[in-house]
Amino acid sequence: MERRIFLRLRHRVKAHTGDIITIGDAAQIAGQQKLKKKLSALPLYKVTKKDKNIVVLDIIKVLKTIHTAFPALDVQTVGGAETIVEIHYQKKQLSAVLFVGVWLLLFIGSCLAIMNFHEDVSMREVHIALYEIITGERNEYPYLLQIPYSIGLGLGMIVFFNHIFKKRLNEEPSPLEVEMFNYQLDLDHYVAMHENEETMKDLHDR
Amino acid sequence: MIVSILFVMFVGLGGGLTVGAGFVAFLTVMGIVPRLMQLTKTMRFVQAYEGAVISGAVFGGWETLNMNHFFLSEWLAVPVGLLAGMFVGMLAAALTEVLNVLPILAKRIGFGSKIIILLMAIVFGKIAGSLFHWLYFIHHS
Repeated sequence: MERRIFLRLRHRVKAHTGDIITIGDAAQIAGQQKLKKKLSALPLYKVTKKDKNIVVLDIIKVLKTIHTAFPALDVQTVGGAETIVEIHYQKKQLSAVLFVGVWLLLFIGSCLAIMNFHEDVSMREVHIALYEIITGERNEYPYLLQIPYSIGLGLGMIVFFNHIFKKRLNEEPSPLEVEMFNYQLDLDHYVAMHENEETMKDLHDR
Repeated sequence: MIVSILFVMFVGLGGGLTVGAGFVAFLTVMGIVPRLMQLTKTMRFVQAYEGAVISGAVFGGWETLNMNHFFLSEWLAVPVGLLAGMFVGMLAAALTEVLNVLPILAKRIGFGSKIIILLMAIVFGKIAGSLFHWLYFIHHS
């Protein structure tokens, strides 16, 4: 009988305090059905209050647990070397004041930024010149050019982020979603290295 | 005389070459053309888009130096303004500051699901700031 099992750690597991994470929670397992079931139920880690927000489970820890229970089993691991356990607490209700504050901050900030940009690149002179090129008349206040320009500014941003036309145009992720994903990946990478005592060792620290 | 003419031509060509290369490099970094092609699924027209950017830059450069007048309807300024605004808006959206600030902000304050509303704050801020600038600010500065 072949006593071999394949194991792949999940990237991210969500848990609450008091939960017991089993091997089946932390990893995908492939192998003989009976063995798989027994292995899946094996407790790996108990989440306590002390763990705060994040715990990193190393592959070695998983292998140790399996080895103590099934010493003769041949475990082949595939993929990443650690699982990040995200511990969720009862979420505090988001304060509306804070949200409005951030919204206004971004709003006013964008206002100022675009005005500074216009002054910086002499946008007004360019608009006046552009209007003169098109119509042949000089107009110090070419609103006919400037109001559509202002609306176009917003439209261009929306097109770039593709939030409103998402369903209609296509379903590829928007640059913002990609950026958020990358940011999360960077965070995960950092956490996997720094929250995991096993990855670093100081020889003189005995 | 001929030497100085040739020298001036050389300097002009060199300057144009550098500015043109810089412009294209800037556009490439911003990734606006790929984004538009991705949205409209028209990857096969890549060279036509290149041509559009180049001819636009050359035409704009020529016009800033010569100011030819076309004597067209003033209503033509509306689509021109709209397209110009959209281009600048896409540039503003592509700036990495926006792309980097929003995920961090959303993560820090726990607004993950409301990021679209925060994005809208920036979009409306741009529109309002621009309108305020043209309709009020320039009269009072």
